[in-house]
Amino acid sequence: MLEEALAEIRAAASLEALQEIKVRFLGKKGRLTQAFKAMKGLGPEERKARGQELNRIKQAIERALAEREAEIKAAELEARLEREREDVSLPGLALAPGGYHVATQILGELVDVFRRMGYQAVTGPEAEDEFHNFDALNIPPHHPARDMWDTFWLEDGYLLRTHTSPMQVRYMEAHTPPFQIVVPGKVYRHEATDATHEAMFHQLEGLAVGEGITLAHLKGALLTMARALYGEEARVRLQPSFFPFVEPGVEFLVWWTNPRTGEGSWLELGGAGMVHPAVFKAADDAREKAGLPRVYENVTGFAFGLGVERIAMLRYGIPDIRYFYSNRLAFLRQFPRP
Amino acid sequence: MNVPYSWLREFLPGLPEPEAVREVLDSLGLAVEEVRRLPAPPAGVVFGRVLKAEEVPGTELKKLEVDVGREVVTLVSGAQGARAGIGLAVARPGVVLPDGTEIGEREIHGVTSEGMALSPAELGVGEYAGGLLELPADALEPGRELAEVWPEEVVFELELTPNRADAFSVLGVARDLAAKLELELVEPPVDVEESPVARFVTVEVEDPEGCDRYLARYAGGLEIGPSPLEAQRRLLAVGLRPINNVVDATNYTMWELGGPLHAFDLEEVAGGIVVRRAKAGEKIVTLDGEERRLVPDDLVIARKVAGGTEPVAVAGVMGAANSEVTEKTREVVLEAAHFDPVRVRLTARRLGLSTDSSYRFERGVDPNLPPRAAARFLHLLQRWSGCTVGDVVVDVGGDKPRREVPFRPGYANRLLGTGFDAASQLAALERLGCEVAGEAEPYAVRPPTWRVDLNIEEDLVEEVGRILGYEHVPTEPLALIPAPDNLNAEEPYRREEALRRAMRGLGGWEAINYTWLSPAYLSLARAPEPRRFLKNPMDQSKNALRTALYPGLLETLAANREEHHRFFFELGHVFLDVEETRLAVVLGGPLVEAGWQPAFGEGYPAVKGVLEALAARAGARVEVRPQPHPPLHPGVSGTVFWNDEPRGFIGRLHPQVEEALELGPVHLFELLLPLPEAERSFRDLPKFPPARRDLAVVVPENVPHVEILDLVRRFGGPYLEAAELFDVYRGRPLAEGQKSLAYHLTFRHPDRTLTDAEVDEEMGRIVTAVLEAGYKIRE
Repeated sequence: MLEEALAEIRAAASLEALQEIKVRFLGKKGRLTQAFKAMKGLGPEERKARGQELNRIKQAIERALAEREAEIKAAELEARLEREREDVSLPGLALAPGGYHVATQILGELVDVFRRMGYQAVTGPEAEDEFHNFDALNIPPHHPARDMWDTFWLEDGYLLRTHTSPMQVRYMEAHTPPFQIVVPGKVYRHEATDATHEAMFHQLEGLAVGEGITLAHLKGALLTMARALYGEEARVRLQPSFFPFVEPGVEFLVWWTNPRTGEGSWLELGGAGMVHPAVFKAADDAREKAGLPRVYENVTGFAFGLGVERIAMLRYGIPDIRYFYSNRLAFLRQFPRP
Repeated sequence: MNVPYSWLREFLPGLPEPEAVREVLDSLGLAVEEVRRLPAPPAGVVFGRVLKAEEVPGTELKKLEVDVGREVVTLVSGAQGARAGIGLAVARPGVVLPDGTEIGEREIHGVTSEGMALSPAELGVGEYAGGLLELPADALEPGRELAEVWPEEVVFELELTPNRADAFSVLGVARDLAAKLELELVEPPVDVEESPVARFVTVEVEDPEGCDRYLARYAGGLEIGPSPLEAQRRLLAVGLRPINNVVDATNYTMWELGGPLHAFDLEEVAGGIVVRRAKAGEKIVTLDGEERRLVPDDLVIARKVAGGTEPVAVAGVMGAANSEVTEKTREVVLEAAHFDPVRVRLTARRLGLSTDSSYRFERGVDPNLPPRAAARFLHLLQRWSGCTVGDVVVDVGGDKPRREVPFRPGYANRLLGTGFDAASQLAALERLGCEVAGEAEPYAVRPPTWRVDLNIEEDLVEEVGRILGYEHVPTEPLALIPAPDNLNAEEPYRREEALRRAMRGLGGWEAINYTWLSPAYLSLARAPEPRRFLKNPMDQSKNALRTALYPGLLETLAANREEHHRFFFELGHVFLDVEETRLAVVLGGPLVEAGWQPAFGEGYPAVKGVLEALAARAGARVEVRPQPHPPLHPGVSGTVFWNDEPRGFIGRLHPQVEEALELGPVHLFELLLPLPEAERSFRDLPKFPPARRDLAVVVPENVPHVEILDLVRRFGGPYLEAAELFDVYRGRPLAEGQKSLAYHLTFRHPDRTLTDAEVDEEMGRIVTAVLEAGYKIRE
């Protein structure tokens, strides 16, 4: 019987066949069970010997069944794995990857740098009044300084802000120093468009106001920004310049190494300076009109502003600013940001 | 502002080499745009004296006999100014001009021209190409190589900021360099030999606000002719055109000292000069030959004539043809005046006439310059032409006192973050021409009158920084604790950022479109009527500020017709009655593009899915209720409720717009920001099992899902946790025009297991409500 069983087990090709064999030999009516039952009529000695023999057979069959089961399972797994094989080199589903506009990306980077220094990012209107865009920034009407900003005027007397600086006064009208803010946003210049000029572009404005703030603090903030943008070798230089809302007014230059040519040069990145007393006064006057206390009389502050597109153009070697707002995917998808 | 190196060096003998000067100018805030090298005239060009000039018969040309030293040559020239008694720059055959032209002998109308008389542009020494370089007949001995007396020049092209009116002059730039480099400054000489005059003019200033100083002086015995070579060399180098000795002397002085001057022919203004407002409608023919109509805000210089006065100049802008200096002029009245900057600017703007004079007056001319500028002019003219200088000085207005500005060196250090000692700060200010008085802070600093930009203490701090150098400003960190009212300032921006991030995460590409569009396009896109218009658009047709974001995004779709993943969003401002910030999303194709696998995620459910995912990210409830919106297909159009507030629209673009723009199906939504937030508090995790039931409702085709959902929610009782649509069925056995909406309903009690009977009761109420609403239950 053992030989017979073992032969059948060896020949079994599936778990079902194995189960059938198991039932046939070891089931309630199985042959081995029958043989155990048939022992009733035997004498004690004989029965003991027969019992031992049958147990050996049973164990051998069970072992054989277990071994065969494992073999079959392994083979089946093998077969299944083979069946389920896929060409993993095939392309995946064409999910839309999505991405920020490169201007948003650079602005976001800049905002993050200043956030780490404790600045908050705030936004403001793009259709501005003349007061906030010019007068409050110490740019009186009929002053030649106004020529520095070619302006889009609106028929209702408003204008499209020519810089993010109007938010300096707007923010101070509603908030108390000390504070540090950056203002990312769209600005407009009435300029003929060419490879380096756009009528619409983006700026980041910065303003820090409090007691004892100096030009040295401005230099510190700009250096931190420059290092974040251009690495630890970055250097910052201040050069006298003129913006009516700062005094002293400077232009800040950053030592930049062109990654494509390896050449270094001083890059004029933006304007900056110490907030002009006339700007503080304009903010305080507006506060007073609104029934708020004057809080800008014993403070100093610095402000800075820089263009965003130029940073992107230099970093990526974009030859023409007019690509930015064509919104062609061929352009947009070139600036992934991990 | 162009500044020749040689001119600077005249005032600053110790000036370093041009390359070094460039850096110093930059560090002074006198930004050098370009350093141009003007070459000497080409080798072989010689000085020639015109002995005789006669017309070539039948032409406008002239045949000149020119003494070029060893010989007299014949030249043919078409230049108007070619005449006997002047000197010319002559290129003999074989000379190669800077532009590569080789001069040869040419036969012109039967006359052999043995060379060519040259213009400044041909010589490469200036821009003027409209006529010959005309020199005094005795400027040089004939035959002398021009290059020997006309060296190469280096010209700094400065881009000056409007505050530095004083630097619109060679002397002004020299002063800054002297202060920075601690150089000795040699002031230009102004000495003249004066003599009594037989006649002169009276000056009445009727509008002292427009003209707070008017100074007039006399030069006579004049012979109008070309200026000396050295003067012309400089005028050409800075981009001016030499005209004659009198006009050149005014321009030369203006460039050198910064004060515009004007010379009248005395004969023409002998009746007297009146400075007054123009009369409404009054006309003047300016020197450029244009007739200009004036308004009373314009200031004019007028001459007395029988029965009144008539303008001879638009003050500070341009003179008139009726009194200009001509070849016949023998005596001139020199005007050295100071006009109101704003008035000059307004007039120049209105007339569209920006001149070197108006440019300087607008920015601010030293009110005390007139006597000196006049003297310098007379000094030059006397040396150039041997004229007599009158001993009369008419000066209406007189000198202005200096302003006094208190100055604390300690404050300068507090603003700059520096440790400059007081002595070096004060010395820097003195080197700039300031007078300093006082023994301790605050010092009384009196800036020179030419520095119209120094009015407050901070202005002086900048001067200290400029002269002592910003490289001494250290780098310091700033740490501050913001005042409490600043704490949530960032919230709006942070939430915009989060929306952008979420949209990017969902696979959208961010577009940034122009703020202006044409009203016609907005109307075609069925956007709201524009409210706000540009007065001076770049493109006349695109003069409206956008009233929605999606029209721009439709252009983005159109610009990307050939592309996959036409899934864009924009977060920006729109301009209705108020300026709004919005987020718009357009979907012009499937979310998942077809490849070797089929595309999926298209149409309305796709864009709705984007909206829902966005809401889920924000933890907001979002719901869309059918409602027509003009931009949308009336049958696929709804209002978006964000946390129960209507915030925008969603649907399919109106087919007319799709067709007009040749776009395929476009689905979109647009939301007004900031989106309302719901209060959030923790709900404990469920402890008891839910009871689930299904409900299928048969409704007419036009009944929206949300209506049934409302019923279910209203009558589902307090333990209805969720109602989720899982099937929409049309077809047998349902009648035509009917659909079945099937829902999984989940009930749960927070504190115990609901019994079947309880759930049956809730279901019963829902079913009753559905039946009462006139719909059927599908078993």
